[in-house]
Amino acid sequence: MAQLQLKDVNKSFGDVHVIKNVDLEINKGEFVVFVGPSGCGKSTLLRMIAGLETLTSGEISIADRLVMDLPPSKRGIAMVFQSYALYPHMTVYNNMAFSLDLQGFSKSEINERVTEAAKILQMEHLLDRRPAALSGGQRQRVAIGRAIVRDPEVFLFDEPLSNLDAALRHDTRVEISKLHRQLGATTIYVTHDQVEAMTLADKIVVLKAGQVMQVGSPMELFNQPANEFVAGFLGSPKMNFFDGQLAGAADFQGNDVSAQGARLVSTDKSAGDSVKLGVRPQHLVIDEQGVLEGNVTLVERLGTETILELLTPGGTLFRFASAESLDVEVGQDLRFSFDAAQAHIF
Amino acid sequence: MISRTLKHVVLALIVFIWVVPFVSLVATSLRSELASKTSGFWTAFTPTELGHRFSTHDRGLDEPVLSIDGNIFDRINLTEKDFPVSGTVESVLFKGRVADPENPGKTQLIRKLVPPGEAMPVRDGELVFQPNGDYVLTFDEPTLPKPKNLDVFINQDPVFGAAAYEEVLLENEDVPNALIASFIVTIPATIIPITIAAFAAYAFAWMRFPGRDWLFVIVVSLMVVPTQLAFLPILQGFSGIAHWASSLNAWLTDCELSNSCEVASKSYASLWVTHTAFGLPLAIYLLRNYIVGLPRELLESARIDGANHLQIFVRLIVPLSVPALASFSIFQFLWVWNDLIVALYIGPNNGEDLVFPIRLQQQLGTFKDQLHLLNASAVISMIVPVVVFLAMQKYFIRGLLAGSVKGG
Repeated sequence: MAQLQLKDVNKSFGDVHVIKNVDLEINKGEFVVFVGPSGCGKSTLLRMIAGLETLTSGEISIADRLVMDLPPSKRGIAMVFQSYALYPHMTVYNNMAFSLDLQGFSKSEINERVTEAAKILQMEHLLDRRPAALSGGQRQRVAIGRAIVRDPEVFLFDEPLSNLDAALRHDTRVEISKLHRQLGATTIYVTHDQVEAMTLADKIVVLKAGQVMQVGSPMELFNQPANEFVAGFLGSPKMNFFDGQLAGAADFQGNDVSAQGARLVSTDKSAGDSVKLGVRPQHLVIDEQGVLEGNVTLVERLGTETILELLTPGGTLFRFASAESLDVEVGQDLRFSFDAAQAHIF
Repeated sequence: MISRTLKHVVLALIVFIWVVPFVSLVATSLRSELASKTSGFWTAFTPTELGHRFSTHDRGLDEPVLSIDGNIFDRINLTEKDFPVSGTVESVLFKGRVADPENPGKTQLIRKLVPPGEAMPVRDGELVFQPNGDYVLTFDEPTLPKPKNLDVFINQDPVFGAAAYEEVLLENEDVPNALIASFIVTIPATIIPITIAAFAAYAFAWMRFPGRDWLFVIVVSLMVVPTQLAFLPILQGFSGIAHWASSLNAWLTDCELSNSCEVASKSYASLWVTHTAFGLPLAIYLLRNYIVGLPRELLESARIDGANHLQIFVRLIVPLSVPALASFSIFQFLWVWNDLIVALYIGPNNGEDLVFPIRLQQQLGTFKDQLHLLNASAVISMIVPVVVFLAMQKYFIRGLLAGSVKGG
């Protein structure tokens, strides 16, 4: 049985329908990432699970218990907020002990739990400090510690890394990943950063405008995107799209490029319909006999990889990414080929 | 750059304008009655020429003497214990008859200022004094002179003393009573509204209930109701309550025997209620604006941690709102402490229970020109708000910015 189950969940703010018929099952111990552009409703969905927003319709159950009418504290969840939301006038110890104190735990039990959580997060030496005396990463850890002491069924993270600088973000990401393996706790993690989603998740839920676009493991989503949105959202640089018509069962005929034997994603399309061909920049290969021609308009050298921006003769912008450092200049004409099996028709 | 200099100049000017009256009050209250009557407070800090009177020696000499010596300052300070005189003697006023040079055999009355070192006739002898106050009175033959009072002008060193404070605080119970009465009025009249307002502000900021916004608009608009407008209905209300309470008293107790059933309509309690009522709208407005600026996630986090509204209020909102609470407390404290008109209309009117502003106003009549006493009372009444303000000023500065910057 699923640890967390959403059934036909809807949410409206007045006339605005922000969450539309979301169905989702999350198994025990899974690390699930909600990802999507800002305004897609991912945070709202998380807050509905937490009990900070009411449902307009639908059912949520946590550990086989319907929780729609329960207050947040009774749902068996713990949440880590984007701004950490540490209580500024309390020490780290008291921040972590607050929820236990409210639940009426004994002093010795509180002490035991807090110390244990502090040990897991390696911050025993910070317990007497106030949040103002902590660095961003330390505050992050206190916020996580505050969640751990509650021993919840589900951990909820609301964009926890967005306030950290790039280097720290990477470290903390690794730490959260390790922590999840150590605790084995069911976790829901909201982010708009697809890198975080790809690296952390057992299961990614891609949301757009309040609707679930696709649910699956990171590589599943990367290799077999269910629609153009998912294909474009995951992967960096973005997938290239070319306009054209569906010529046969899996054949694409376009102005700039044609392909036979690509993966047809849309099942309701028939020959002659206008479709798009999606090819990842990494899947292009420089080939003088290639079908795709482009004129280089921008060269980005990142050290680990080189990204070219090109224009087809038809005026379509596309990108090429290579791990090699290419000897290319702006204005140069290049031809590319690709393996049609790695291309998608939407 | 220029605007900054200008700002500093204006600021210095404002500080000067505010500090001068305070300094003058304090300085005058610390001077002797003579000094405060005869010269301005600004002369109190530098040597100033002032007139004194001293007697050459004590009454009842035992046997005839040829000379008497002494010190003018010692003689003066026999009576001037509170404000001992020191400095340099400028001159002594001679007033008496001397031989008239133009009409031999006759005398003329003259007044003149005799400088140090010059002999002047006193009681058939000659008096010579030095700037340091030493004087010698010599006679040609042993005599038994009567003491002579002489006026002396002394370039006097600054001298301060707390005699006026002793007088207003110890010799009469009016000022101590007024102090106590003012505290009795002010402390509850500060604590009660701030407590009610804090609860109300939290509800207005973070609890959802129907009509919340309209209710808040009404509360805020009550801020513009002037106190004077409401005196009559308030007085009527209190006298109604007092009447009712008197009847209740008569019914429940045997007060008729001692003829003590009457419950006063003007009392400390009526002052507390009135000040609370008129302080609440501003208090709710200020606190609500502060509390609504606290980060939402903090409260949500507390809700997830299992806190109910009361726990959130007590353990989160109150500690985090200390700057706003403190700054409003200062406002309310100062306002109630300095209030004259409400106390006059609604407060108790028997002599022992008068609050400080009323007492001061009455002292204007009783002390008349005894500036040092008036000023001593005024300083005593001022010192309390000054201490309160200085003690809480860091909160006050932060509190004034309350709500303007998120998180204060």
